[in-house]
Amino acid sequence: MAAVDDLQFEEFGDVATSLAANPDATTINIEGPGETPKRLGPPRGSGREEDDELLGNDDSDKTELLAGQKKSSPFWTFEYYQTFFDVDTYQVFDRIKGSLLPIPGKNFVRLYIRSNPDLYGPFWICATLVFAIAISGNLSNFLIHLGEKTYHYVPEFRKVSIAATIIYAYAWLVPFALWGFLLWRNSKVMNIVSYSFLEIVCVYGYSLFIYIPTAILWIIPQKAVRWILVMMALGISGSVLAMTFWPAVREDNRRVALATIVTIVLLHTLLSVGCLAYFFDAPELDHLPTTAVVPNQTVVAAKSS
Amino acid sequence: MFVWGESEGELGINFDHIWQKTLTVLNPLKPADGSIMNETDLAGPILFCVALGATLLLAGKVQFGYIYGMSGIGCLGIYALLNLMSSSGVSYGCVASVLGYCLLPMVILSGSAVFFSLQGMIGTVLALVIIVWCSLSASKIFISALDMEGQQLLVAYPCALLYGLFALLTVF
Repeated sequence: MAAVDDLQFEEFGDVATSLAANPDATTINIEGPGETPKRLGPPRGSGREEDDELLGNDDSDKTELLAGQKKSSPFWTFEYYQTFFDVDTYQVFDRIKGSLLPIPGKNFVRLYIRSNPDLYGPFWICATLVFAIAISGNLSNFLIHLGEKTYHYVPEFRKVSIAATIIYAYAWLVPFALWGFLLWRNSKVMNIVSYSFLEIVCVYGYSLFIYIPTAILWIIPQKAVRWILVMMALGISGSVLAMTFWPAVREDNRRVALATIVTIVLLHTLLSVGCLAYFFDAPELDHLPTTAVVPNQTVVAAKSS
Repeated sequence: MFVWGESEGELGINFDHIWQKTLTVLNPLKPADGSIMNETDLAGPILFCVALGATLLLAGKVQFGYIYGMSGIGCLGIYALLNLMSSSGVSYGCVASVLGYCLLPMVILSGSAVFFSLQGMIGTVLALVIIVWCSLSASKIFISALDMEGQQLLVAYPCALLYGLFALLTVF
């Protein structure tokens, strides 16, 4: 099983022999009921994807070549970007499922992306996350301060723009930095596994999916619950990222490899803790009115005496 | 000036087609005919936008600017997305037309806001149902007109976000 993930230049035969050689290799079943007739129809290049999946994930040279042929339009036309939206509903769901269930040894990129990185998933997951954080933040503040007569609820729309900036910056700049770093290390140490920029963006985008339900559950105004949620989300998405990038830095100097993985997880932690701290008020604030009332009573008592 | 009996009025408005498209929107489970979008007309959508504004006005919210602004930008976004996701391109007028037609259930929602406040459990559930209804209709028409099989939910999701914004406008 490890051989499948590591070696790019593996011989491949036809479907039967490669499946026989790796009986526990994961294949995506695309021949669902009613799916097969449709798969052959549309001229969207779905035939190429079907070949890719049937032959297993070891013909990456072939798809690299075809990928080279794909990007022939100039980058300011729609056609150039059309190749990045060439996904179906079930593929997107598969990738989301893969980001939620990190299995040790299975590489998210090799398993699910397979040289077909898409921009649909990362873009919409980030957009949903922005909305989820903004709405949950507003809702939780509203619920915490409910019943306080001195607090006037104002929906804070500028939080949406701040959330959007932070999350999109994270989803694009960190992969860019990581890609540059991996490229630099690749020039020094020959790594077996290397990722393209879009694949890294894809992994980061899909790994943020776990934060959507987490953000919604952060409405619960209990500090312990919130921190448990942070730990769980961080555990899942951090492990997806760590397992994806470990093969890419494994060949390198031990310290550099560990430092890279630690940095990735640290940045992820910073994002989640930062979002929790900034967008969600601490639940202890609802104790303030009672402490404000007490000095009033002592003042009244002093005046009346 | 309006000749109701004939199918082609003097203004070039084909009432028969408008009615057909309206029926397609109102029944989200019936598969759509791919050819109904061949002629893009904006009469229906504009009518529904005005109706939405009018019902919001009745409920006490004067927000015409927001409606038109959000419609324009939302249409632009969906237009870009559909051009990226489909093999055959789509024109902006077609996108605006489909999204406008599928705004009809939202008019029902804002109409009901006149009679009872939507800020409660019933209102939230109703709003969610209407959002799902609108986006399923819109995505159904888009994928049948653009031959994008297997991508209905991927198209429905951005439409749901757009209609969700409209619903927020209606509810709050």
